[in-house]
Amino acid sequence: MSERLSAPDSREPIGRLFESLRPDLLRFAHWLARDRSLAEDIVQESLLRAWRSREALQDPRAARAWLLTIVRREHARLYERKRLELVSLDEVLETPAGPRLAEPDADVFALRHAIMRLPIEYREPLLLQVLGGFTTEEIARELSLSSTAVLTRLFRARNKLRVICGMTPAPDVPGSEGAR
Amino acid sequence: MNCDEARLLVGAEPTATTPALEEHVQGCAACARFRAEMRTLDANILRALQHPPDVARAHAPRPAAWRQWALAASLLLATLAVLGVWVLRPSDTLAREVVAHVQAEPESWLATQELSAGGIDAALRRSGIELSLTSDKVTYAQSCWFRGHYVPHLVVQTARGPATVMILRHEKVRERRSFHEAGMSGVLVPADEGSIAVLGREGGRLDALAGQMQKEIRWLPEPH
Repeated sequence: MSERLSAPDSREPIGRLFESLRPDLLRFAHWLARDRSLAEDIVQESLLRAWRSREALQDPRAARAWLLTIVRREHARLYERKRLELVSLDEVLETPAGPRLAEPDADVFALRHAIMRLPIEYREPLLLQVLGGFTTEEIARELSLSSTAVLTRLFRARNKLRVICGMTPAPDVPGSEGAR
Repeated sequence: MNCDEARLLVGAEPTATTPALEEHVQGCAACARFRAEMRTLDANILRALQHPPDVARAHAPRPAAWRQWALAASLLLATLAVLGVWVLRPSDTLAREVVAHVQAEPESWLATQELSAGGIDAALRRSGIELSLTSDKVTYAQSCWFRGHYVPHLVVQTARGPATVMILRHEKVRERRSFHEAGMSGVLVPADEGSIAVLGREGGRLDALAGQMQKEIRWLPEPH
């Protein structure tokens, strides 16, 4: 009951703003968690947390980035809590996702699968950068890594995806992957 | 900046531009090619992420062996269907890749300064092409790595705004084809050798520009 009372109120402008961003958040959470129902739970919980802390959002233009970081942290919390229960990728890829006939681009279809298979330490910064629009420095702050470590992870993520698209992998770069 | 540093930056952030990186890729063909490839890849990554992954958690028990075979067969059929669409409509795929390439070089639309004839020639020479544009102002000219070849990528200022021209010597199309994707309109037209893609964000005289290119391009032997 208390959860319901603290849910975002779509009659308020800030509640409407949060709701308008729900599809973006859901897509981001879905790529992180690789499971739709988990993603919906993550987004719901994140929106509740955001609503409770809405006073902290000074500038509505920063709402999207702010909400994405809440979603990421909520996913990380869940990942830590339910580490052993999270989705088995073999199970996921076994389900008949199938290529979409409306998406006849073989590279894009292969990339979707390859991104799903990226380990979380590579997938997470890539999603923050490509879907979230975060800079390297912002990702470094969010993930408590050095900028060089973020660059290295992004490089390695894309290098893995190059192979999927039939390109020769670039020689690995020397770089730190360590935390700050 | 050395090649390792350039590759790290380009691989991590393909659209990044810094003075040091620009200076390096100007003088390093391998890193310039790597950047062009990574920008094409990045446009595809963005497209791949546009929709949530189409997966659902499998709650059901593992299927029996015959079901696995049936699933494999249906996946094979679906894959063949997709490949069929892909192979039978090559110009769709080509158009998408052209759009992805242009999206990956957003700075190309922003240039306003007219290039010298020498600057344009440098972008064309690598592909064995000469062009005598008489009336239009070219503000961007690069030789880009596209589908395994260097191709000229130009931006021409027209009365309706900038239009991109890519001269695709190795990509044959049978007939004129128009397309609309990612806020861009374009046409692919056959040329004496290969094809020409013309794209704009405001529509306009794309066909006229394509026709002009068909007439003004001179195909020379390809350099080795």
